[in-house]
Amino acid sequence: MNDVILKMEGIEKSFSGVHALKSVDFELRRGEVHALMGENGAGKSTLMKVLCGIHQPDGGRIVLFGKEVSFRNIAQAQAAGISVIHQELNMMNHLSVAQNIYIGREPAKGIMIDDRKMIRDAKGLFDRIGVNIDPRVRLGELTVGKQQMVEIAKAVSRDCRLLVLDEPTAALTQTEVEELFKIMTDLKQRGIGMIYISHRMDEIERISDRVTVMRDGEYAGTVNTSDTTKDEIVRMMVGRVIYAGHKTESTVAKDAPAVLEVQGLNCGSEVKDVSFKLRQGEILGFSGLMGAGRTEVARAVYGADPRDSGTIKINGKEVEINSPEQAVKNGICYLSEDRKQYGLLLDKSVAENSALASLETFTRMGWINDKSIEGQAEKTNAALRTKTPSVEQLVKNLSGGNQQKVIVARWLIKNSDIFIFDEPTRGIDIGAKSEMYSLMEELVTEGKSIIMISSELSEIQRLCDRVIVMCEGRITAELDCADATQEEIMRYATMRESMKG
Amino acid sequence: MTGNMNKLKRFRPGQNIIILFALVLLVGVFTGLNPNFVDRYNIVSMAQSLAPYAIMSLGVTFVIATGGIDLSIGTVCIAAAVVAGKLYTSGLVPLWATVPVMIGIGILFGFINGLLVAKLKLPSFIATLGTMMFSRGLSALIVADPNIFFPTGTWYNKVFSNYNGIPTGILWVVGFTLICSYIMYKNRTGRYILSIGSNEEATRLSGINTDRYKLYAYILAGMGSGIAAIFWSASFTTVAAATGNGMELDAIAGVYIGGTSAAGGVASVTGSVIGAALLVVIRSGLNFVLARFDLSLNSTYVTYVLTGIIVVAAVLADVLKSRRRRK
Repeated sequence: MNDVILKMEGIEKSFSGVHALKSVDFELRRGEVHALMGENGAGKSTLMKVLCGIHQPDGGRIVLFGKEVSFRNIAQAQAAGISVIHQELNMMNHLSVAQNIYIGREPAKGIMIDDRKMIRDAKGLFDRIGVNIDPRVRLGELTVGKQQMVEIAKAVSRDCRLLVLDEPTAALTQTEVEELFKIMTDLKQRGIGMIYISHRMDEIERISDRVTVMRDGEYAGTVNTSDTTKDEIVRMMVGRVIYAGHKTESTVAKDAPAVLEVQGLNCGSEVKDVSFKLRQGEILGFSGLMGAGRTEVARAVYGADPRDSGTIKINGKEVEINSPEQAVKNGICYLSEDRKQYGLLLDKSVAENSALASLETFTRMGWINDKSIEGQAEKTNAALRTKTPSVEQLVKNLSGGNQQKVIVARWLIKNSDIFIFDEPTRGIDIGAKSEMYSLMEELVTEGKSIIMISSELSEIQRLCDRVIVMCEGRITAELDCADATQEEIMRYATMRESMKG
Repeated sequence: MTGNMNKLKRFRPGQNIIILFALVLLVGVFTGLNPNFVDRYNIVSMAQSLAPYAIMSLGVTFVIATGGIDLSIGTVCIAAAVVAGKLYTSGLVPLWATVPVMIGIGILFGFINGLLVAKLKLPSFIATLGTMMFSRGLSALIVADPNIFFPTGTWYNKVFSNYNGIPTGILWVVGFTLICSYIMYKNRTGRYILSIGSNEEATRLSGINTDRYKLYAYILAGMGSGIAAIFWSASFTTVAAATGNGMELDAIAGVYIGGTSAAGGVASVTGSVIGAALLVVIRSGLNFVLARFDLSLNSTYVTYVLTGIIVVAAVLADVLKSRRRRK
């Protein structure tokens, strides 16, 4: 039981000057679930990418099943028995479950694919690991949880002996988590070693044997789960105290008017009868699991996606918002979680990105005044402490946190009143995170109002005056900050329609 | 990550200098091989034929800057000339009226392309392939007897083509280049067109009506074709439905050679004109070289072979450069 199947020693990796991994050690035993923890940007994903050949290490060695290895690509790692279940599943939604499992190695009868055998094999596979899925249905028709199980089954069918699970429970309901844990216990008994990446402390306590913590690209230590406490792990992860804890009392003025009122919003199956009010100077949190419909609500309010029904009132007056153009005219702005795709012009300068929404104010008699754009961009970005050599720098050369600030600058220059932040701290480092928090606090003291969608409960608890919890497109709870404990939020976030009442 | 390379670049003077240098080099080589190339008459003749191509290149630069393509510019240009010419030769409109008719037809087709791409969300390649075939067929149907003749030696030819040996078309090209530079770099329309080419969804989410500005880009391209038709008919005077087949490809090639990115977001207005000039010089120069050495090759086809190589080389150089920059 004690034999080590993977040993990574002194792993080093740098990306264009950024030291992402600094002499990291990691070890995995046969039949062990080894949790890998750390804040976003601590280097967990990079370490796993080094393990499975996506990145090549600059230094250190990897010993797998007693042999030193260096994989040039993911296929070599797979051949050696490593499988990775990613946070975002990479499968073909239009193919059947069986086709997905056996893609690239379909059983053949002469020159024809033997579909019957493929389906039979898939059934046998599911029986062995105790999953109840019809291999003939199209993958896209399954829930995310079931799709994940298909991926695990695919790994098992490949004879994988080392399984990496990257935040597998992020989008799962409580029942699905239970099912996943059952499968993992079963895989343990078969001697498969598992690396389990997660932020959820209770799950780590339940399922893992050991925990390795990473911090800022460094190895912070390994402990046996049974000999440690949550606090101990958190201390290892953070190294210092950065969270100011909970907000326990709303800072919104008692008589603050509602600046935004949404009534009866519906969009397809993703948003169902959503109504809420945002008051001036308030930070209103939207919490829930992945796919609960929070982003869809924001996009519909912003006019980015069409809505089936629902009215929007700004400062008590009903307004027509059918496009982002109209939303912006009404003082709303939206900062997407996917900055690169939905926010930035990556190959344009900080100045151009900052001024994009308000070019008309820099235009005189049809001529754009670039000098005044640069002046304003410099002023606003300096106020936001955006780190950039100059406003002529292309935004693609900035770090995630600074890119986020450029987008905030865009809306400050536009003088927007209602800020919708969608996962504002995703993919930015700890320092930039706390800066982002103070920035939001400054915004509301200046009379702006904020809707913040976040999957990080600590962030919701720290900043929000009120929290709306969503599940399956519906609002399941509206909590005051004092009542918004993690347990309460999670309870409502998993309150599915069928379980209600 | 050194400052200079990453500086704000809506246009790249560097690229302009490179192709300007290539242009001068080519003129030198052709002159060396056949001194008649820089004969006064040939220079005027090249200048005359440059105008329609350069103006088409200018127009389509806006579409390419959005990340799209307009394949219909050549056939729309001919259709505009054919329709206006037919109206004129039938005595339905006076000569001066052909000018607004041609521009109007260009705008109309640009508007149709714009609607198909921006509002109905068709891929630009397919939408403009459709209007290209449509306009080509339309021209052929209108010109029952093969040719339409515009007048020669009138004010029309003097103003738009050649005033006593002065290639007036070139002056117009300079004017249009200035106007297009203003629209592209100093007016919001151009800024938004470049933003769309850089990241359309991010531009839309910034509260900009991206559909409207895409429509504008196609209208500008169509207008370019209509205006090009004026210079085409003033210089060549004989218009047949089949003339100018493949013109759009020359104009588009000029844009790519000029340094506008096919992916959109980066555009060089001046580069498009220099690119178009480069192709005119090659076409004419090869004629002289082939004549001088008595080679019995068809200069049109040799031109295509050479143009093909130059387009690929120019775009490849750009791709390699930006890949190195990314590293």
